[in-house]
Amino acid sequence: MVKADNSTTMLTVFEGVSLSYSPGQKVLDDVTFALPSGGFYFLTGPSGAGKSSLLRLMYQAEKPSSGRIYLFGHDLTYARRDELPLLRRQIGVVFQDFRLIPHLTALENAALPLRLAGADEDYLQRHTKELLTWVGVGHRTEAYPSELSGGEQQRVAIARAVVNKPKLLLADEPTGNVDDETAIKLFHLFDELNKMGTAVILATHQHNLVERFRKPALRLSAGHLTSLASSARVGEV
Amino acid sequence: MAIPTKLFAPCFRHQKLGLFLIIMVGIMVYVATFAMSAEATLSAITFTWDRGMHSRLTVEIPATDDESSTPQTDRVQQVVSVLHAMPQIATVRPLPDDEVTRLLKPWISQPELLKVLPVPTLIDIERKPDSLLTAEDVRQQLKSIVSDVRVDDHTSWLSDLNNLVDGLTLIAAFVILLTGITLIIAVSLICHAIIATEQETMSLLHVLGATDDDIAHHFLIHTRRLSWPASLVGFLLAMASTALLLYFLRHFADPSMLEWSHWMVLGAMTFLVPIIAVIIASLAAKTSVLKLLHTMP
Repeated sequence: MVKADNSTTMLTVFEGVSLSYSPGQKVLDDVTFALPSGGFYFLTGPSGAGKSSLLRLMYQAEKPSSGRIYLFGHDLTYARRDELPLLRRQIGVVFQDFRLIPHLTALENAALPLRLAGADEDYLQRHTKELLTWVGVGHRTEAYPSELSGGEQQRVAIARAVVNKPKLLLADEPTGNVDDETAIKLFHLFDELNKMGTAVILATHQHNLVERFRKPALRLSAGHLTSLASSARVGEV
Repeated sequence: MAIPTKLFAPCFRHQKLGLFLIIMVGIMVYVATFAMSAEATLSAITFTWDRGMHSRLTVEIPATDDESSTPQTDRVQQVVSVLHAMPQIATVRPLPDDEVTRLLKPWISQPELLKVLPVPTLIDIERKPDSLLTAEDVRQQLKSIVSDVRVDDHTSWLSDLNNLVDGLTLIAAFVILLTGITLIIAVSLICHAIIATEQETMSLLHVLGATDDDIAHHFLIHTRRLSWPASLVGFLLAMASTALLLYFLRHFADPSMLEWSHWMVLGAMTFLVPIIAVIIASLAAKTSVLKLLHTMP
């Protein structure tokens, strides 16, 4: 895997990145930005602006049609397929629709990344239970997703995203399916995670939350990056 | 193991795909095992016949009702004496009447008829090993005593039988090959169906850091777990069918003529079929899943 000299200190760098799902229809168009490590960033914009696509590029669920993406200093353009799992294990992802596996318990769902990384069973059980307790669902470890409320499911999903202590947490509209009170609690949770050293990029269209937490924000509109709010904390490419 | 065992279990239950896999493996193992064991049985029978008949000739002395000629018992005695005197012949054995009756029984069912019919006397002779003595040589030697003597060589019909068994062996090999290919295709289709319905789970596992090999290995383990009992049932049913076949063929060959080592080889070859079927099914699952995963990001 190629390491970019100019991006080793950066969390991620996008250089003229475009993404098309079909010819002539660009979901992202010439997006360029750089984010320093360890920060908390909002990714805002209306529905269909390309927020989810940008996150998908970061966790390598998509490959860019053009441009270059650096993550933790690695050029993803040249990443081999067998290198991707190790990179992905440094990223936690929280989805709007939680994506918990219905026939696994909360504990089994949350522990999945540790299992995939081949963690010791004792450590896996103990650490995952502690984490579920920390996110507020320690009393529901043996419950299946269908037995949990939307807020509880999202907390399990957050636990799963951070269980193997990732460098970066990507959250795609994590509060889209929960009430406002739960949304604020979840935001506080993300903030705490960030203070513990995990960089957070949180995609949302809820302006009230963005303004309330006063974090740097990237704004997307129709596939274009239109602003880097609080740019003093956002690196220049 | 990286991925929890129960992660994909519901995928295999979905639309009874696991059940379909079990039935397919069971049928394929049954067909392949039966084809192999039936072929082995036929080969064994031919082998016993071949070994029993290859060095033998049958002398046939027609019955005579002409009272002026030498009596039948004297003619037989003279023929036996001449045969004993021939250095290339190892044994001479006139067939007793009850054995001739037994041989003729399928064609003449009423025993009373045998008493009135001119039944020939049969003499079984065995040539010495590496003897070049032919049926014609023997006939020439006996012609002076019994002008209408017949000497039968079994090589001709044994050769036809061997050709038939060789043909059946080829067909059995083809059937086994075909079942193997069908098994691979069936398992691949099942895996395609599971991946198609569980694409979101596969994407999630990738996002969580699972390698293609992790996921494919999990399919291998599930396929192996489902295939074992199916394979065993198919094998046992095939063995039962083979036992039935042996029972029906019991009048045509004596299995005790085969040495135990020969039976051991046949048994080992047959027992390998279900093991190989499980290995093929498991590897087919892993390979097809790996191929499919490579088409995903």
